[in-house]
Amino acid sequence: MGSGAILQSQTDADIGVSSKSQTLREFGAESARIGREIADSYERYHIHVHEVKDVDPLPHRFLVKVGKFGLAKLLVKELVTYFPKFDVILSRPCTYGVFSGPLGGFSPRPELCVGCLRCTVQHPDFVEVLHNPELFKLGDSYTTHGHITAIDEEARKGMVPVRGQGYRGRFGGPGFDGMLTDMSEIVRPSRDGIHGRELIGTAVDIGSKPMHLSFNEDGRLSEASPDMFTIQVPFIFDLPPGDFMSDKLSKVVEETSRTIDTLACIDADSVTRLGLDLPHVVPVLRSSDACRISEFRNSRLIELESWDIVAFEEARLSTAAIVGIRMEFREGWQGRLTDAVESGVKVIHFLADLHGRDPGGSFVSDLFKEAHLMLIEQGRRDAVTLIGSGGIVGADHVPKAIISGMDAVALDLPVIFAIQGRANAPLKNRDEVRGTLPKKFNHSWSVQRLANLCGSWRDQLLEILGAMGIREVRRLRGEFGRSMIVKNLEDEAFEGIAGYPGGGS
Amino acid sequence: MTIAKPSETLIHKTTQLMREGMNAHAFGEYRAPEALGDARWTDELILSTWYMAETGKIPADINFKTGKSGGGFDRLEFGYIDESSWLPHSDDIDTSLTLNRRGDNKNKIDIDIPWYGGGMSYGSVSVNVMMSRAKNAKKWNSFMSTGEGGYPPELFEYSDSVITQVATGYFGVDENSIKATPIVEFKYAQGAKPGLGGHLLAAKAGEEVSKLRGSVPFVSLFSPFPFHSTYSVEDHSKHLDWIETVNPNALLSVKVSTPHDVDMVAVGSFYAGAHIIHLDGSYGGTGAAPEIAKKNIAMPIELAIPKVHKFLEKEGVRDQVTLIASGGIRTADDIAKSIALGADGCVLGTTDLVGMGCTRCANCEGGPSGRGCPWGLTTTDVELQEWVDQDWGALRLENLYGAMQWRVRDILRKLGMSSVRELRGRTDLLRYITTEGNS
Repeated sequence: MGSGAILQSQTDADIGVSSKSQTLREFGAESARIGREIADSYERYHIHVHEVKDVDPLPHRFLVKVGKFGLAKLLVKELVTYFPKFDVILSRPCTYGVFSGPLGGFSPRPELCVGCLRCTVQHPDFVEVLHNPELFKLGDSYTTHGHITAIDEEARKGMVPVRGQGYRGRFGGPGFDGMLTDMSEIVRPSRDGIHGRELIGTAVDIGSKPMHLSFNEDGRLSEASPDMFTIQVPFIFDLPPGDFMSDKLSKVVEETSRTIDTLACIDADSVTRLGLDLPHVVPVLRSSDACRISEFRNSRLIELESWDIVAFEEARLSTAAIVGIRMEFREGWQGRLTDAVESGVKVIHFLADLHGRDPGGSFVSDLFKEAHLMLIEQGRRDAVTLIGSGGIVGADHVPKAIISGMDAVALDLPVIFAIQGRANAPLKNRDEVRGTLPKKFNHSWSVQRLANLCGSWRDQLLEILGAMGIREVRRLRGEFGRSMIVKNLEDEAFEGIAGYPGGGS
Repeated sequence: MTIAKPSETLIHKTTQLMREGMNAHAFGEYRAPEALGDARWTDELILSTWYMAETGKIPADINFKTGKSGGGFDRLEFGYIDESSWLPHSDDIDTSLTLNRRGDNKNKIDIDIPWYGGGMSYGSVSVNVMMSRAKNAKKWNSFMSTGEGGYPPELFEYSDSVITQVATGYFGVDENSIKATPIVEFKYAQGAKPGLGGHLLAAKAGEEVSKLRGSVPFVSLFSPFPFHSTYSVEDHSKHLDWIETVNPNALLSVKVSTPHDVDMVAVGSFYAGAHIIHLDGSYGGTGAAPEIAKKNIAMPIELAIPKVHKFLEKEGVRDQVTLIASGGIRTADDIAKSIALGADGCVLGTTDLVGMGCTRCANCEGGPSGRGCPWGLTTTDVELQEWVDQDWGALRLENLYGAMQWRVRDILRKLGMSSVRELRGRTDLLRYITTEGNS
């Protein structure tokens, strides 16, 4: 009996399974064997991460300045006071090795400084620890140096960043900072494992789910299988912004997407030139080039750069792949969304600017929500997959975008920063971003850095889902009730307090 | 590299330098280190806390009241009555807090100040820090909590001032520590990492720590989330019954974080038998937590207190339960504001550590050295933990608490109140300020 056979429980001692009659004991043993086989062959999805060193390290956080005269005076004083107790004479306030180089404090190693400040507190007359202004130059008002250093650490280690002490930043804030995620004191996704989060699913479906099932007289599905496929994480790689597009980078995102089972958007010309017509690659075509769509025989998803019904129809008739539409949040997007979905588009890839805003200044959390609710209102939400781009630069932005109504998000700037690219501010308009990738980066290094970032972000997504007691990310989509908006909470908490402006501050 | 216990001379040299440096900064002899402080704990808040810990007085010329987080407590101030009506500053202004309001036959406990020390486990902090806090708690007729890491034998001498915490890993929980305590605290969740459980990294789980936790040395120890025996408020009630069986007189405190339904959780806990409902907001401290959890999961305490207070009132049980707030309470002003928002009192954690020298560098979990806090606070490293002397630490905290009590009284008298109990829920006395707080 093959492992695919369906075992039917019977109370009779003699059980007929397949062509051979079995006793209950044999039946039990066979069931156990099959169960074991299935269990042993099961491989839980996992992103393999390992630490990858920097090739172009970010500026370190702190500058350490030591007055040489003051240090020399201290050394002489301690030598005289404590001789011959060398453990005392040689002891230094830093446990991180800033003063443990060959020349000790005369040549401190600021790259090791973590800002505990013991040195400057103990020796304020000749040691200073300063913020490194070079670090603050990174990023812009939205993608801050904090986001960039976090991405850099995540891409280096592939781990969830863990620190002591509590939150250090501002109260609430604009955009995603004004949204909190919920938790449950009791409910868990599962009681299995240490925290119950080990079995949380992060897979999402790309394409269209049937709105209902139809069966024929034999009880079999009367329609073709749903036009969709599954990727293992709710984030894909978007086209790199500005002048970062390069063949080398295209190959990196292609291999990473294949490794972790997601998708990489690559412009159609590069796909053709580099021979990247592969299932994990999403060729992005200008609508005027829709006739070329049949070139991409292996793609599962192909995106057209904008909504054009003629181009879409032409493309749809020429390929078996799902044809998605990239749609900017420009004026009238609601109408275009309705038209597109009515016309049978199964994947809409929304694009806000890199600050997550539309031209009118609305933030993606509101825009995503509007799109999601609009499709629900039309009774078509499950007929289409929504992917959101723009403003996703932190691990917490992924669940928040999904709560706002997206099925998945697309990563742009994080890809660049994960492989230690440097981009010049402002980082707002995709086309205007300028920067450089590190001179020394190589393919396998970059793939691992990117996989590390994805591993870290996925694990952080698991933390958020685990805290909520949600077992799969698909169930998080549009779950506004599992988020809290700071301004709403403030309205409730501070209502009636003199001077409170209402509606947040 | 093997780290040995430091010699007396080395301890003397190091602690002297650290203490002199802290004091010099607290007294303004040097410019505040540029890299000190953040939006929640500004350099001024840290240095003013050091000043209070050194002198027992509030500083005259730096902001000891608010941070620069741009919201919550930092946007609130009190609208004092006309100065001509202020009460004189007096030790007669009542700052006491009743912990058993149920009117049952369990311990009747009033503490002298409207706050006590929050849970910091043995392992996350050294025994010297625990003892400093316990000694201080005794002096103030208040409490400190063990956190989830067991009960070091030294603590039994101060057991009347020590809350035994039972958390999801049950680390260090035994009959003796439950019998010894006047209050048992059930920790369901922690504000800094709500819904995520706990994790003591292997490097900090040394010989003594692991022994108390019933484990083996240098193995990572996980507190799962949640209690695997709790699926409902009825299960929670059974937990409390279990404690009651072991220690029939103990008050029961339930520590929860601040999800959207925190009000329902609070009421459920009350009906399950809790005397104290302890809300731990999301901006609270931790020995180690995923960065993503600290800001993003659950709500800040300022927003949770009024929600729970109002709901308990609506349910008609507000006066039968003590509502305690923690997670981001930094100063005496924060305590007073919490009470005005609806809490009865507060719990402090980070403030105690800052009082003993913490600069909030966030390397409590071990940092790159793997040894933990270089100030000797959140570490069990055999060398580093010696930088905190128990009596020195207790004195610092005694001074700090004295200054904070003075400030709470100062606020009360300017509101024309003779007891902190009058302040509860008086949001009408608060004002929301639209510029950064520096009231």
